[in-house]
Amino acid sequence: MNDVQTTVLTVIEQLLERSDKSGVVVTLDSVIHGDGLSLDSLETAELSAILEDEFGSDPFAAGLMPETVAEIVAFYGAGEGAAAS
Amino acid sequence: MSSSPRTIIVTGGSRGLGAGIVQSFLDSGDRVASCSRSTTPQVKEWESDPAYADRFLFIEADIADRDQSTAFVQAVVDKWGTIDVLVNNAGVARDGILALFSDEDSDTVIDLNLKATIHITKRVVRNMLSHGGGSIVNISSIVGLTGYRGLTVYSATKAALDGFTRSLARELGSRKITVNSVASGYLKTEMSHGLDDAQLNQIVRRTPAGRLGEPDDIARAIQFLVDERNNWLTGQVLVVDGGLTC
Repeated sequence: MNDVQTTVLTVIEQLLERSDKSGVVVTLDSVIHGDGLSLDSLETAELSAILEDEFGSDPFAAGLMPETVAEIVAFYGAGEGAAAS
Repeated sequence: MSSSPRTIIVTGGSRGLGAGIVQSFLDSGDRVASCSRSTTPQVKEWESDPAYADRFLFIEADIADRDQSTAFVQAVVDKWGTIDVLVNNAGVARDGILALFSDEDSDTVIDLNLKATIHITKRVVRNMLSHGGGSIVNISSIVGLTGYRGLTVYSATKAALDGFTRSLARELGSRKITVNSVASGYLKTEMSHGLDDAQLNQIVRRTPAGRLGEPDDIARAIQFLVDERNNWLTGQVLVVDGGLTC
């Protein structure tokens, strides 16, 4: 697992913990909304803001709507985001 | 004095009411960042005062320009990390009856009072969501509640801000972020919206408190709203006008 993957997974785990969903297992295949991590719109906004803090950009603000954790990781892996801080 | 310094943003803090708000938060020991389109003697005084060393940041920026607004917020985050309080004070008034009002003046008032406020609030809310709390105060006006002949566009923006306050409070309440408006009455500042002496004297006669407001009257209300102990108070419009509209 590379640094970007680790950071993204950690960010999501911390967010879920803050939202009282700490029992949810996060993997690259996890679906962000619906039956997956079940993030609501405000939690998605929080994730967007935290990712921007971490990486300097985030896929949601860039107009993308990633559906899985892997798609978030891919946004940074594809070089569209800034390097991890 | 606060127990630990908070980071406060006051837009339009170089003069008038905004300067009074900046001074209030400097007096309460907080870190204060402000912006306006130009530096004033008051700003230079704060910048050179050793009592405010490392506690005052001023950047010349026109927040109606989204790039400048974003850069201003980023500069505050780069310097102090988190933003605890946002006071949306920057505003402009243009008077004149609507039938003769220029489109340019309408755009100027709406762009700054409303669109710029929405944009900077969005940028700051993202920081507050990330670190888990904060307080926002929108400086509104009693003319947004009562109306005032010759201030149609200005009063429309202030009424809109009050609606923005209520909806944003509902959005962010669960994240320990409070959002309130202060509907200011008429103050002894240059922002008395082009009212002449006769109009101001009439306002004083009709005001139960018998005087125009001072910036500190408004600043004290803001300090109350952003006090952490008052975090059950959100989504409200607090009228501070010497009783004029009661």
